Amino acid sequence: MPRIFIFVGLILLLCLLLPPAIIARVRSTPNSNLPIHIIQDMAFQSKYKTQAVNPMFADGNTMRPPVINAVARGETYLDAHLYDGVIDGQWANVLPSQVKMDFATLRRGQERFDIYCSVCHGISGGGNGIVNQRAMELVANTNGPVNGTVWVQAKNLVHDELVTVQPMGQLFNTITYGIRNMAGYGSQIPTEDRWAIAAYVKALQRSQNAQPSDVPAGTKVADNIGSTPNTISISNAANNVTPTPMNVSVSNPATSMSEGKL
Amino acid sequence: MSRFLFPRWSNAFLPLVIILGAIAPLYVGLFVAYGFSPKTLEAGYMPTQPVPYSHAVHAGKLGMDCRYCHTSVEKASFAAVPATQTCMNCHTQIHRESPKLEKVRSSYETGMPIEWVKVHKLADYAYFNHSAHVVRGVGCVECHGRVDQMTVVYRVAPLSMGWCLECHRNPTDRIRPPSMVTQMAWDQNKEMTEAQRVELQNLNNIHPNSNCSTCHR
Repeated sequence: MPRIFIFVGLILLLCLLLPPAIIARVRSTPNSNLPIHIIQDMAFQSKYKTQAVNPMFADGNTMRPPVINAVARGETYLDAHLYDGVIDGQWANVLPSQVKMDFATLRRGQERFDIYCSVCHGISGGGNGIVNQRAMELVANTNGPVNGTVWVQAKNLVHDELVTVQPMGQLFNTITYGIRNMAGYGSQIPTEDRWAIAAYVKALQRSQNAQPSDVPAGTKVADNIGSTPNTISISNAANNVTPTPMNVSVSNPATSMSEGKL
Repeated sequence: MSRFLFPRWSNAFLPLVIILGAIAPLYVGLFVAYGFSPKTLEAGYMPTQPVPYSHAVHAGKLGMDCRYCHTSVEKASFAAVPATQTCMNCHTQIHRESPKLEKVRSSYETGMPIEWVKVHKLADYAYFNHSAHVVRGVGCVECHGRVDQMTVVYRVAPLSMGWCLECHRNPTDRIRPPSMVTQMAWDQNKEMTEAQRVELQNLNNIHPNSNCSTCHR
């Protein structure tokens, strides 16, 4: 057999290895090429889904905001207590009737506080959350604040008298509409959850300012614990930890499973 | 003109052709299975986003909870991309003059949305519900991978029907206590024993369906 046939044959055999090599590379490296959908069936239907682009409207949004001055059912927002934290022109100091004051509400408040508030105010409310730390770092940069960053130290919710004297309704109002540099969270957190957070902040303040006299009679307390709560520095370690849920035990998951099957 | 005669060595071609003919279907079969699988075609999609937003910084380094931005994930089928307002909660102050945030600022001023590119796109006939999964303890990381380590988000999973069914048929190893769903570094297979996972599954009544109509309606 002439050599040339053997050569060409071997080269062709080697070429057969190329496709698997290319496929292996495609599988192992993310890239920006659109996914290839071979069997399309009805994978791309002419319908508009949540948050999709829609060329029919000037702003390109499929999801339409309500027509100006239109009021949706259940969205009159007339209940000043529930939506603004105000009773007869005074800050409310109790939860509205729609939210129950119980342990579940406080737990919910804690979970939501850790998600939305702790980033600036810290897990224990001391005002040194991770975003606060990062912003301070950017402001303190030796060549001037990075990218024009400005920052005012986040409020210490549990020791600053301006906050600790506030009734729950005022806390709720601040969470909802924001204050000074803090944006309002009314659009991000549902009303009931904002009340739960306000209640939890009250609980945090209580716990962070606990005195030995708060301990039930008969319980022994070590002498060095809790004697001078107000001297705790805002940079104390408890504020620096990232959210770590405490409950990983399987016997007590903090959720309701009432909706049947998945 | 003399007649062309095949040389004697050409006899070797016959067994060669037979061998190749036997291997060829196998090769083509493997090529199709490997190359046309959703793991090749669909996974790994990493589009360039209009704003170089880094999940590695926000969710990883800063450790912000997924739900800070994706607020609807526990209530709705769709895990909403946040409004520009959410970005501006912080960025009215932090990095407020950064050129990278130009589009965010102009979106905030004009009210025109930032056109983020969808990474995890399902076929339009499949109806996935985030809340149903998240509330019952399917962690974000199960489908989205370690987003908290991605500078640019890409699709880790093929999101194919076979891949969905893998878990729907055997969910025990992929569920966690619902309080841990957003903790991406947490792994139920390391932190919990097999028995605990089974107990959790029974406790939360997790018996996923694999009927067609569960996802296709």
